[in-house]
Order: sequence, then structure tokens, then C-alpha cells
Amino acid sequence: MYEAISAMGSVILDPYLLMLIGCMTVLGIVIGVLPGLGATTGAALLLPFTLTMTPVHAIAVLATIYVAATFAGSITAILINTPGTSAAAATTFDGYPLAQRGEAGRALGIAVVASTIGGIFSILVLCLAAPMLARVAYEFRPPEYFALTVFGLSMLASVGAGGAVKNLIGGIFGVWLATIGAERVTSIERFMFGNYELYEGLSFVPVMIGLFAISELLVQSKKAHIVADVISLKAVKLPSKEDYKKIWRTIVRSSGIGTFIGILPAEGATVASMIGYSEARRWSKNQDEFGKGAIEGIAGAEAANNAATGGAMVPTMVLGIPGSGTTAIILVGLMVHGLRPGPYLFTEQVETVYQIFGSMLVANIIFLALGLYAAKLFARISLIPTSILWPIVFALSVIGAYSLSASLLDVWIALIFGVVGFFARRHGFSVAPIAVGLILGHMVENNLQNSLKMFDGQWWLIFTQPLALFFLVLAFLGLFGSQIFQFIKQKK
Amino acid sequence: MRPFIVPGIIALFSVIIIYLALQLKLSPAMIVGHSMQPRSFPIFLMVINLILIAVLIWQISKSPPKPIELEGPTTWISVGSFVLFYIITIYLDFFIAISAVMFLLCYSWGEKRVHVAGLVAVSVPLSLFVLFDEVLKIRFPRGLITNWYYG
Repeated sequence: MYEAISAMGSVILDPYLLMLIGCMTVLGIVIGVLPGLGATTGAALLLPFTLTMTPVHAIAVLATIYVAATFAGSITAILINTPGTSAAAATTFDGYPLAQRGEAGRALGIAVVASTIGGIFSILVLCLAAPMLARVAYEFRPPEYFALTVFGLSMLASVGAGGAVKNLIGGIFGVWLATIGAERVTSIERFMFGNYELYEGLSFVPVMIGLFAISELLVQSKKAHIVADVISLKAVKLPSKEDYKKIWRTIVRSSGIGTFIGILPAEGATVASMIGYSEARRWSKNQDEFGKGAIEGIAGAEAANNAATGGAMVPTMVLGIPGSGTTAIILVGLMVHGLRPGPYLFTEQVETVYQIFGSMLVANIIFLALGLYAAKLFARISLIPTSILWPIVFALSVIGAYSLSASLLDVWIALIFGVVGFFARRHGFSVAPIAVGLILGHMVENNLQNSLKMFDGQWWLIFTQPLALFFLVLAFLGLFGSQIFQFIKQKK
Repeated sequence: MRPFIVPGIIALFSVIIIYLALQLKLSPAMIVGHSMQPRSFPIFLMVINLILIAVLIWQISKSPPKPIELEGPTTWISVGSFVLFYIITIYLDFFIAISAVMFLLCYSWGEKRVHVAGLVAVSVPLSLFVLFDEVLKIRFPRGLITNWYYG
């Protein structure tokens, strides 16, 4: 415990790290307010820049972008009725109507305070829950890990915007992508078509850049000529005493909800904010105000979506199972820097882990100050013409993809996956399941192979392991639970 | 018929992958042991995919999705610019390709002031080149400009 506190505290004693977190918080807010960019695209674009950094600095950069961009989506949600990130969609329901009434400052103030409290709450839970979960995860052997990854893959059904079946098809495609290259045990080349640069498999970074940044560029090209109006605000003010009295219960409740939903594999800030908002409405005495500028609605959505960021880091770091596109990129960041996500991270790299947590905590405090005093300025950034912004994203994408291993093949991979991602999205498939599938692909195949070796090829013995069976039952319920309950209900 | 084109393409892709997987060499039993052959896992995945596609087709036949609006010229110019990027990178220079595509994107996305589009197309790649080459020590592929710069 002492080690954890001192590692977290060391963040404030490292001026370079502090400066980095400060700059990344500003950049994260800028990324968050630019409609279309968001935390995932921002993290994908910044990943190549972190290659020369130490692991702590690199992951702190990505985690800070994640935290700050998730918050910043609310700025444009309130001021131009366009959520900067999908996680801020619920904030528009009451944030924009309140801004239209001339209380944009109050709406932003509530969003900032709720986000900060939600974020800090989830990081404290992360600090306590992650080591406990890691202790349980030490007992995991290949069958348990195989079942866990199957559970993670089954949860892909609810990730992103596509329907469950489309998401699963995307996830399976992602897992197949992980089989490209030389097979781990036999070294037999699979789907390489004679290209030896693919011997080690597809690099994660160009695929992520393609799926998230370049595909988003093509999606945004449809909106190239849309001009948004910004509601003017005089100043961002802190919520009043009466406001606090009205929202504190909502903030506490939504922080808990957001953290819990974030911890669930494959559930992210968007789902958290929607549930946080609907629960705020359910428990409110002023339900009629919702949709017309209820401050509880803003607080409920914002506390939940920022709390989900800390929660989502739990399965990412402890189990190596990312819950969203952004955590998938953070996981890639961990691997690129030689850190092995999983329970051993908490024994082998305790200091690093808690420094990362500490960085997220500091980022939350910095964006409180920035949100309160510079929101007006950040809102102006959202007016940068898309005709300037997206060509810059293109340049960053191709140079970023190249820089990982100085290979032009990576640039072509990024462009191909950009086009594939665009057409997938065009036809209702989300790209996040492809990314998560690619990351989990190696885990699921390796653990299945090891399990089969363990049980002399008798695969059904996996079901005799209690924890593995538990995860497989969860996966089954996750996929078919609602249909089964519906069937039972109809029978009754 | 149109809504079934995408599931059809994915099904065809899955069948091709199964065919390609079946062409993979078999590994001797002493190496694989009681585990899987390298071809087994991809085939297993694609079989699941085919089952999911069957479910998707059933869903589409029950409630056909709304027709997708065709994208405007900006999107297709953007996709086409990637081909241009490939050609210029291979035959001229990586950074000339980035500049050309940036200019094309700027202009086609609505920036009609040629000098602004030109400024963005030159200044951004130049700044990124300096950052990656000088600070991050990344060596870029040889081409007209990089040959001149690296000597």
C-alpha cells in the first residue's frame, strides 16, 4: 500500500511527467472538442510519438488523452449540440437546452465538476480493485484464460454502434487477422502470401491508425461542408450551493455506475453515460425537467462517462482484455513498451502501474482547472475548418504508421484498413470489435492450444474447470441471455 | 437483393479463407502433439463466421435495412487520393505524396483559397518531418526530397 501511494505521489515530483500530463490534457481537450476526432483516434495518432518515451511516460500520455478527451466531448455537446465523443451524447439531452436558455456557463461548470469527481472516484476504485482482481487472476491457467477471452469476445456483441451479430462478425474478422503470420508453435506461415514482413503478424499500430483515424477521415468527408454555430458564453462558473445539493447524490450514483460498467469487458463510456443519465432521471424528483435543461441530467451523464475511463483500465491492465477502442490502443501501448498486461504487471511493475494511475489522477485535476477557466477558448477550436483539420490527420496517420518500424508496408496496411473500416462502418459494422478481436486473437488461440496440450487434446475437459466454466456460462448468457429470458417470458 | 450483397461478400471471403487454410501444410504430430494444426483455428473461425452470416441474412430478410445513401464526390476523391498517394510515394517521394494528398484533400473538402491549402500542404509535412527526423530519429524512405536531404 505504501509502495502504491509513494509511486502515485512520485508523479508530482517528476516535473517532466507533470509537464507531459499538462500538455496532453490540453491536447486531449482539443481532440475531444473537435467533432469526429475523439479519444480513440487521438490515442491512435499519438501512439507513434510515444515510442521513444519511457513506459510510464508513454502510457501516461495515452491515459491522459483518454481521460481528457472523454471529458472534453461535453464542451461541444453543450455549446453546439454536437458531442465531441460518443460518450458525451447523453450530455446533449440537457446540456444544450440549458445553454440555449443562456446558462451555458452553468452547464459547463456542472459537467466539469461531475466529470472530475467521477474520474477521481473511478481511479481510487481502480487502485483498490485492480490488485485484488490481479490476486484472483494469478490462479488463472490456460483454460481459464481461454474462457476469459471467449467471454471478452462475446461481450463484443455490445461494443460499438453495429448490431450484435455484425459486431461479432467484426470481432471474428479481428481474431482471424491475428492468425496472419507464422504460427507460434510450428512456424507454418499463414496468409502471408510470400510477404516476409508479415512473419511476426500484423502490427497493431497501423491497423489501429487505419481503423480509427483514416476510416474516421472518410466518414467525416460526408460532413465536410457542415458549419456549426457556437452558443456564446460569458464565463464558466462553478455550480452554486443549491446546485450541489441537487446533484451530489446523482454524481455519487453515476460515479459508481460508470466505474462498474467500465470494469465490464467491452462496455465503455458511452453505455455508462446513457445508463448514468437514465438513472439520474429515474431517481430525480424533477423528471419533467429532463430534456429541457436538467442539471442532474448533465451531472449523471458526465460523472458516469468519466468514471468509466478508470473502470475500463481494470480489465485492460489486470486481464489484458480491453473494453473499448481507446483501451485497446492503451493495451497496444503497454505491449509496444515491453510491459506484459496481466496480473504479473502488479508484481513485476508495481511502481509503473501506480505511476500510470497517479498520472490519470493528476490529469483529472488539471482538466478541472482547464475546463473551468479555458472552456470558452476550447469551444472556439471546434470551429477549425474540417478542410484543414482532416488533411492534417491524414499526414499524422501515414507518418505515424510508418514510424513504428520504418516500413512502408505499415503505411499501406493503415490505408487499407482505413478503407475497410470506412466500408464496414458504411454498412453498419463498428470497427472497435475488429480492433479488440485482433488484440484478443493471439490470447485466445495460444490459450486454446495450451489448454489442449494440458488435457491431451480432450477439449471438453475445459468445461470441468470451475472458473473456466463460469466465464463460458457468462459468455453464453451474454450472447443468448436476453433471447432465453424473452422465450421464458413468452412461455409464461 | 441489394441488402444481401454485403453478407454475400463476407460469406465468399470466409469460404476463400477456409480454402486457403486447407492449403496450409500439416505439421508433424511430434511438434503439434495434442494441440491443433495451424489450419484448424482459422477454419474454426470462418465456420463461426458463416453461421453468423446465416443469422445476419435471416435478420435482413425479416426486417430489411434502409438503403444507404451514396456518398458525395468528396468521399470518393478522398479514397482516390490514397491511390495517388501510393503512386507518388513509389515513384517520387513519400513527403511529396503527403503534400499532394493534403492539398487535394484541403481543396476538395472546401478550402478554395489555393494559397491556404498550399500552405497547409507544405508546412504540416515539413514540421512533421523535422519532428520525426530530428527529435524521434526516424529515417524516412528514399525519394526525391529525402535523397537530397540525407545526401
